[in-house]
Amino acid sequence: MLGLMKGLGYTMKNLTRKKVTYDYPNKPLPLPDRFRGIQKFYPEKCIVCNQCVNICPTDCIQLTGKKHPDPAKKGKIIDTYDINFEICILCDLCTEVCPTEAIIMTNNFELAEYSRDELFKNLEWLDENDDNIRKENKA
Amino acid sequence: MIRTEEMLLNVGPQHPSTHGVFRLVVKIDGEIIKEATPVIGYLHRGTEKLAEDLQYTQIIPYTDRLDYLAAMTNNYVLCHAVETMMGIEIPERAEYLRVIVMELGRVASHLVWWGTYLLDIGATSPFLYAFREREMIINMLNELSGARLTFNYMRVGGVKWDAPEGWIEKVRDFIPYMREQLKGYHQLVTGNEIFLNRVKGIGAYTKEDAINFSLSGANLRCTGVKWDLRKNEPYSIYDRFDFDVPIRNDGDAWSRYHCRMEEIVESLKILEQAVEQFPQEGPILARVPKIIKAPKGEAFVRIESPRGEIGCYIASDGKKEPYRLKFRRPSFYNLQILPKLLKGENMANLIAILGAIDIVLGEVDG
Amino acid sequence: MIEELLRSSPGLLNFAIFFLLAVLLLFVVLGFVTFGILSERKVMGFMQMRIGPNQVGGRWGLLQTVADVLKLLIKEDTIPKAADRPLYIIAPVIAFAPSFVVLATMPFTDKLQFADIGVGLLYYIAVSGITTVGVVTAGWASNNKYALLGGMRAAAQMISYEIPLVMSVVGIILLTGSLNLNEIVAAQEDIWFIVLQPVAFIVFMIASVAELNRVPFDLPEAESELVAGYHVEYSGFRWAMFMLSEYVYMFAMAALTTILFLGGWHPLPFLGFIPAAVWFALKFSIVIYFLIWIRVTLPRLRADQLMEFGWKVLLPVALANIFVTALLKEIFSLL
Repeated sequence: MLGLMKGLGYTMKNLTRKKVTYDYPNKPLPLPDRFRGIQKFYPEKCIVCNQCVNICPTDCIQLTGKKHPDPAKKGKIIDTYDINFEICILCDLCTEVCPTEAIIMTNNFELAEYSRDELFKNLEWLDENDDNIRKENKA
Repeated sequence: MIRTEEMLLNVGPQHPSTHGVFRLVVKIDGEIIKEATPVIGYLHRGTEKLAEDLQYTQIIPYTDRLDYLAAMTNNYVLCHAVETMMGIEIPERAEYLRVIVMELGRVASHLVWWGTYLLDIGATSPFLYAFREREMIINMLNELSGARLTFNYMRVGGVKWDAPEGWIEKVRDFIPYMREQLKGYHQLVTGNEIFLNRVKGIGAYTKEDAINFSLSGANLRCTGVKWDLRKNEPYSIYDRFDFDVPIRNDGDAWSRYHCRMEEIVESLKILEQAVEQFPQEGPILARVPKIIKAPKGEAFVRIESPRGEIGCYIASDGKKEPYRLKFRRPSFYNLQILPKLLKGENMANLIAILGAIDIVLGEVDG
Repeated sequence: MIEELLRSSPGLLNFAIFFLLAVLLLFVVLGFVTFGILSERKVMGFMQMRIGPNQVGGRWGLLQTVADVLKLLIKEDTIPKAADRPLYIIAPVIAFAPSFVVLATMPFTDKLQFADIGVGLLYYIAVSGITTVGVVTAGWASNNKYALLGGMRAAAQMISYEIPLVMSVVGIILLTGSLNLNEIVAAQEDIWFIVLQPVAFIVFMIASVAELNRVPFDLPEAESELVAGYHVEYSGFRWAMFMLSEYVYMFAMAALTTILFLGGWHPLPFLGFIPAAVWFALKFSIVIYFLIWIRVTLPRLRADQLMEFGWKVLLPVALANIFVTALLKEIFSLL
């Protein structure tokens, strides 16, 4: 009986303690800067080196490049850049290998959509995803 | 003459207390279990086969998803295996960070076990109390690694991120807080007579059985075998810390409960020392080639995860992908004793026995 | 007034009056169930460091239960193909009807009561036993193994805990010399029976929690073992009937506890200016709070331990209590 009484005492004590729940979604969740959310992509910084495609463990990135329109300049610029968020696991490896920080993480994590097709994000969408950008990108 | 009939009951794969998608086909006579056959594989993703096509760095996020309650230890076992093959010396600061996150993970994992086990037994509140503390750990790890569950934090040769400002102090403050909360846990549950009656003498096995079934972790230590790889085969920097290996002698669910609760205390001890000795300066990543290639050969390493011995075997032919990768997943091995334990038991004990083994289905199915 | 009506010759007017009164009581009880569930969730939430319902009906979630019931009403009514259809349909009714019928004899105050019958206490216990039939029927008719196990557990548990429940109140009956609930309350004018019969009170509380199928005795619907027990196949309004009967029983049992042990509507000394109904509601609420508090804290018993506890502990204690009460009563009457 003593054990039961002690347990009852403990729950009673907790009745008045501070509540620990978050008021999500009314208030945004407090997330640390390093939080890995949906990527933001800078088309102008990309040098089409394909490293992100190679490192991606789930093969969710597809990109194509094209010749630089200014014939005086060498190299390629990005043409299309798609991430399939059906299979992306937000592992951070693409941002880790990117030499120009053209792809970086943001703190946005809300990806719910009504259709699977909408999870296929293209270059424009990833370019516009520019709030809550992570400040610290390289360790 | 009363005729009784045996009944075949499918417990799971959608059952509230199989902790995931685990199915148990039990043959019952009334409420007495005659035979139990576990059916696994509902969560099988073929991690080991997938790894054969992946570079070593790419495998790390996959290990997060094995034992998702203590992903840091899984990260570590893979990195440790590769580092052993390549003979890389890990910087001091990285080693301390690794130990701190692994021990935090151990505390968080045991907290989830404690909460869900009591939820299985029928008490709802402990679950929420345990998650309150776990949330703090998860938040700390989130701040460090950028994810709450699938950390992808360790790299071959060190860790990805350095500790942010004030992080070590947060861990330091957490230790006395957690000790205080543990007192409350014992007050709420440990002395509870109903709980005692539910777990004492339930699912008991002998030392010999435990060894024959290749059990490890708290499932082994509850029978009185003092075996903890952190002590017996110290890896990383565990030989620098002073801690005990809690054991019990009865081999029942009650002993396992005590082993795990005391392991939290021991983990806090390790954390306290690690935070104290944490080096002020230093690199967090050893000098490693950009593309990691393990030399030709093979290696097997094992470490102590919250659930038992997790091992990683790598066979390499010198390429940047492993030729064969195998994880010794402790939950899978620990689960094997279940049919033996369940035979002749009451239906209500099924949950108490299964819960006490502490399985994570992601790990069982690989 | 009701007494006169009961004694007058039957007629349509009588029927209409009783029907209207019953509907009124039903709404009172439904109101209790609505806020009983809400308060249960709120108190549970607060004890578990949560807030509980706070979306529907303002900050306090006042309309949460209403929304839940509405949802249940519009849900699809599923009947398993292999179920025993007539039994499956009638089981919730069998389970619910007695829970409401028992309220007829409850004296909420000295004036507020439906039927003042001589064997009120016995009536309560006898009628409430019928619910078990409904539960077993539901378990059987669902044609589901979990439901069957839950139904069998419910039958075993309710039968074995009904006996200590009855035995524990025999002491009170001995002291009062009556089964009439009004007279039992009247006998507590000076001193409540919780003081005179503490052992009986403890036995009664434990047995009543078991009768209510609440934690720690919620084995028939043990979520972690039997998924949902006897009502695993029920959905929508049929399921709501089972839940409703459970909470109406909670109402009835808390009222009975108040009447038997906490002095019914009698005030504490020097506080007689507070109306009787308020006193009753106050004591009643304390009992309800206690039931919720237990639910938050305790784990569940095991089926076989539950049986052992009922037959080997509670029953002998209740019997001993009867014996001692009888003995003491004789001694005191001799003095």
